[in-house]
Amino acid sequence: MFRLERARKFKAVTQAAKSLILLAILSTGTPAFAGVWDSGDLVKGQALFNANCASCHKVTDEILAAPGLAGISDRWASSEEMMVLWIQDPQAAAETGDPYISSLIDRYVGTYGWMTGQAVSTEDVADIMAYVQNPPLDPSAAGSASGSDCPTIDYSAGQNASQGTLWFLILLTLFLIVALSAASVKRVLKNAVAGSDDETVELDGTYVQRIQLWAWDNRVFVGILSVFIGAYLVVIGYQGLMGIGVYEGYSPSQPIKFIHSVHVCENEIDCQYCHHSADESKHAGIPSTNVCMNCHKAVKTGARYGETEIAKIYDAIGFDAISGTYFDGEGNNGYASPQDSFGGEPVAWNKVHNLPDHVFFSHQQHVEVGGLHCQNCHGDVGKFSVGRIAPVQEINALVDDFPGLIQLSKPTLTMGWCIECHNKAEISFASSGYYEDMHDRLRDDLRGNEELRAFMEDGKATVKELGGWECAKCHY
Amino acid sequence: MRPSNILLTILVASTLILGSCVTNPDSPGLEYMPDMYRSHAVEAYVDYGMDPYYVTEESAMAQRATMSARKPVEGTIAYMGEDSTAKSLAMPYPFPNTPEGYEKAGLNWHSPLEQNEANAAAGEVLYQTMCTQCHGEKGDGDGKISENGHIVGIPSYSVKLADLPDGKMYHSMTYGKGLMGSHASQLNPRQRWEIIAYINVLQGGGEETDATADTH
Repeated sequence: MFRLERARKFKAVTQAAKSLILLAILSTGTPAFAGVWDSGDLVKGQALFNANCASCHKVTDEILAAPGLAGISDRWASSEEMMVLWIQDPQAAAETGDPYISSLIDRYVGTYGWMTGQAVSTEDVADIMAYVQNPPLDPSAAGSASGSDCPTIDYSAGQNASQGTLWFLILLTLFLIVALSAASVKRVLKNAVAGSDDETVELDGTYVQRIQLWAWDNRVFVGILSVFIGAYLVVIGYQGLMGIGVYEGYSPSQPIKFIHSVHVCENEIDCQYCHHSADESKHAGIPSTNVCMNCHKAVKTGARYGETEIAKIYDAIGFDAISGTYFDGEGNNGYASPQDSFGGEPVAWNKVHNLPDHVFFSHQQHVEVGGLHCQNCHGDVGKFSVGRIAPVQEINALVDDFPGLIQLSKPTLTMGWCIECHNKAEISFASSGYYEDMHDRLRDDLRGNEELRAFMEDGKATVKELGGWECAKCHY
Repeated sequence: MRPSNILLTILVASTLILGSCVTNPDSPGLEYMPDMYRSHAVEAYVDYGMDPYYVTEESAMAQRATMSARKPVEGTIAYMGEDSTAKSLAMPYPFPNTPEGYEKAGLNWHSPLEQNEANAAAGEVLYQTMCTQCHGEKGDGDGKISENGHIVGIPSYSVKLADLPDGKMYHSMTYGKGLMGSHASQLNPRQRWEIIAYINVLQGGGEETDATADTH
């Protein structure tokens, strides 16, 4: 609402400015460029603006990569020719020594760099100005992914489930304590009354005594029941023990409500744009905040959480969203790129995919040499919110989208899962020089032993056959 | 009285069983042998401040406030062997992040790689990963981020940027330009030049021509 109102107010102001300028032009009687503020075509102007100006300028007073254009007619009204020249060739305009242009250069070029000269005619400038002064009230272009098949993720759902269980347990315990104390008070009173009246009534025993008595009276039922309970406990215990070290579905909370689906599915950013060390390092890498800033310098408001989550990036890297510039360690604003000296507190993400220290795993080997898709092990992250260990069934279901994806049965990130894949995964000798060399040795080397040659008899070689099941391959 | 006793027993048992179901969603779960799970040597992306085994409270707080991914020491040069191309790729970029540096780079900074098909093909793979989301599949500035209206007005390589010299591209990738941020942390110098080799192909409208090869 606020934005709408501001835009309306702004429109009114520019209208007033326009009529003032028109008046000025009419009264001075020098209509050489009279068209620039007023004769343009709004629709053509919008297309021209988006093609030539929008990558740095906004039509509001917001600074993107250069100052916003709101109120431009007030600032340039005195010298339209100069403005056209400034747009077409900023350096040439600077050489004229115009005082307003000099002030522009002093204020902005140091931070934002020179404006690129645009190949636009005076008529084009008039069209652009028509658009800049009358921008649409609702910039509907702003990222709506409606109609796409990307999931809408809402963090607020299902967050209090564990807390609910906790409260239930606390209440249950309280209830039990009250019930047991009430029962025992009743028993003591009853025994006391029975004793004082000197009646020959069998006294109630303690709980344990009474349970023993009851169990002896119903021994067949108790026997069968205890067999079932015993079997149940064995199964539960076995499942519990088998669950140790299995982390399928593990998705810890994160400091920023990051949504993978917005980035990967809606905006089609490649996994390796952010996790860019996957092909050259053991670690795929958590992107540093400067990588976030490659887009979030422009995208300051998120579709789901507005400005709060994105502002956490700005706090970490020292970005001023209003001026579009960075702070340094002394609190000075106005740098075009992030400053090392700022020293903000890094965003402490919680690690999701934990492998024990006694296992060696390298992303580089699997991505670069093995040529695996990220989805082979991580599932369809484009449907996730924060990082999560994809259960193996989910990954198996992706086989239609990713031909050649290897379907496995053991839980994700367990050793059974690793070696199952090493047993099934075929090596493509054409994929890299590394395997080609291996292949040539298998095929041609006369000294090569028969065992090695035997692997090639079925026409394929698996990772296991090339040593992928050797203990020391991963444990050393 | 007796049926209520059975009820009580069942209640106690179910409390105990349910109690074991309450888990911390931020904990990965049980480990067989924690001392084999945690590295004594410092590993990247491990929060040693979280680990009560090896550190005191003060050092834990200090560790938590320190980033585990570190930059190389300033002024160090990775040794790349005797090959002249590798050597020149290892040298630091000489132009400062200023408007003058940008102009100078355009005139004086040239690729040590040849403009050939192999380099352009390597660049294409990198381009599809690192650039398409904004600059578009064919470099027309119509990537998905632009289509969704987040960043608009991205110039086309074959139209507005058809004459952009390689040095200016390298400068922009290294320091960033306008809305584009620095990609120096994501791309090493060789990868930057490979992408430029591919952009040179896109500048010529997607056809590998002699003209694009002769520009430097």
